[in-house]
Amino acid sequence: MGVLILAVMAAGVLLMLTRVLPTAFALGFMAIGIALCAGQPLFGGKDSVAQAVLQTGAPMLASTMIAVLLGSWLGTLMEDTGIAATIVRKIVEFGGERPTAVALGVFAVSILCGSITGSAAAAMLAGVVGIPAMIAVGIPAVVAGGTVLMGLAAGLPLELIGWQFLSDAVKLPLEEVRSFQLKVFPIALVLGIAYIVVELRRKGVRHAWSVRAPGKARVRRGDAPWYALVTPLLPIVLALGFAVPIVPSLLAGVGYALIATTRPGGFGTTALKSLYRAFDVAAPPIVLFIAIGMLLSAVKLPGAVKALSPMVSAISPSSPWFFVLVFAVLVPLCLYRGPLNVYGLGAGIAGVLVSGGIYPAPAVLGLMSSYGQVLCVSDPTSTQTVWSAQYAGVRPEKVMLSTLPYTWLMAIGSLALTSLLFLA
Amino acid sequence: MTTTDEDLAVDLLRAAPTHENRAEERLRAWARIALAFGDELAATPDPLPAPEIAEVLGGARDDVLVLAEYDTRVRTILVRPDGISRAVKVLMRAGVSVTAGELRAAAVAHEVAHHRMHRGEGRELARRLGHTAFRLGPWRIRGHVTGADELAAHRFAHRRTGIGHGPLALTAALTRHTFGG
Repeated sequence: MGVLILAVMAAGVLLMLTRVLPTAFALGFMAIGIALCAGQPLFGGKDSVAQAVLQTGAPMLASTMIAVLLGSWLGTLMEDTGIAATIVRKIVEFGGERPTAVALGVFAVSILCGSITGSAAAAMLAGVVGIPAMIAVGIPAVVAGGTVLMGLAAGLPLELIGWQFLSDAVKLPLEEVRSFQLKVFPIALVLGIAYIVVELRRKGVRHAWSVRAPGKARVRRGDAPWYALVTPLLPIVLALGFAVPIVPSLLAGVGYALIATTRPGGFGTTALKSLYRAFDVAAPPIVLFIAIGMLLSAVKLPGAVKALSPMVSAISPSSPWFFVLVFAVLVPLCLYRGPLNVYGLGAGIAGVLVSGGIYPAPAVLGLMSSYGQVLCVSDPTSTQTVWSAQYAGVRPEKVMLSTLPYTWLMAIGSLALTSLLFLA
Repeated sequence: MTTTDEDLAVDLLRAAPTHENRAEERLRAWARIALAFGDELAATPDPLPAPEIAEVLGGARDDVLVLAEYDTRVRTILVRPDGISRAVKVLMRAGVSVTAGELRAAAVAHEVAHHRMHRGEGRELARRLGHTAFRLGPWRIRGHVTGADELAAHRFAHRRTGIGHGPLALTAALTRHTFGG
């Protein structure tokens, strides 16, 4: 039975890798296949495919989905009202004669954008103005794209949506997730800064006579007022400093952005227009989270746990340092929609590790968080990586090669932290 | 109405996302300063040894053309023959006649200007632009004007090579056409 389940998983990975099926659909079919291979009936009873996988599994990550929608709403508002673009413009104006200062400034903005919303939407918030501005001051295109992505990775430990996802996926209290993620933040921050400083020193500043083909004209917006520029900080400060839950923290950000940038008569229209646009932005991750919820439910079914636990247990390292070594070596398996992608089959494997009692839940949280950093930046199939690379005018694979040494180190640092905190 | 170099320079500045809300007069003033600086730079002999010139592959994509680059780390001008030959074809489609040799010479001269500005002369351009990013009483932080060095380098290349269509006009013509094929 276990071998059959593994075959279903391998087929799913193949379908994702070859792009025959979109990831969300592949995960959904994998969930149903795993449940059937685990001997669960199609209908009838709480452990049936219809009930456990589809009915209970689909909304399992509902809290994460709401956070995604609100994060996307705030991100859309920051784009529509010019808040993100204004911050980047100010940074370029202040630091323009020092390319490293500009890159560090855009990196800081990317951290803020990454902490509010994820995926390509976050990359666009910081990158639409930030990437051409960095290239204009002589930063090589690949480093310009990589800087935005490294900023998103450094913002990932502070991302409220990410806390909710990890909390839902490994069934840990939000406080515990937050506490671990805050310890990961300095590692991501230091390696992000190291990327900028080292890569700029290694590649140098380049001035080019280059011309871009005419593209779709961007909507040009006025500068947001200075007091609106603190918007991206507000949800983080509320959630971190005042322990306000995630949904009200994000809503407070939305409310503040509206008040700071919109005339009172226009609140309703602006809010509604940006909310409807946010649904478009949030649709792909929400569909993915529906499928991940189904997959998590499938691998937690009694039949699946019984079949998979002995196998996963046999190959999972037990000693704390072996844990770091083995999972550090396996880092590339989270790229290209691979089996350790935490927004794919990796979430299912994490489910098996927790439900089979192979590692304590906090250790699995650490594992997912570590791989999440690599995935966010270096995976050439991640939407944010594809967008940033293409917008900078380079291939996503070049961004992967440029950033992977740093994100790999980030993952090793987080794995070592996990091992020290939860396994030693 | 004839489009002057100054008009093209204003358009180029306005295309930078950092200037999208700047007033026309401000952009025009910066354009004038940058072009005049390019003229002056071209009129003075190069004080530094000429940078190395190397040819590297690439530079021609459907979304971006790179004609030449100046690598500050190795102080070398990297000429992109693929980008130049694609640009010649695109310009021909646009009804602008320029040879690969002329374009190459202009691209090299453009990067010589960057070489000079990067090695210190760019500070004078920043001083003349006089953009204040922040002021608190007597304290003032000088702001960076994105694209001003490009304008100066384009004008420098035009003056030094004397090609019929200057780099500003060529850039403007290229940005109006797709690069495919």
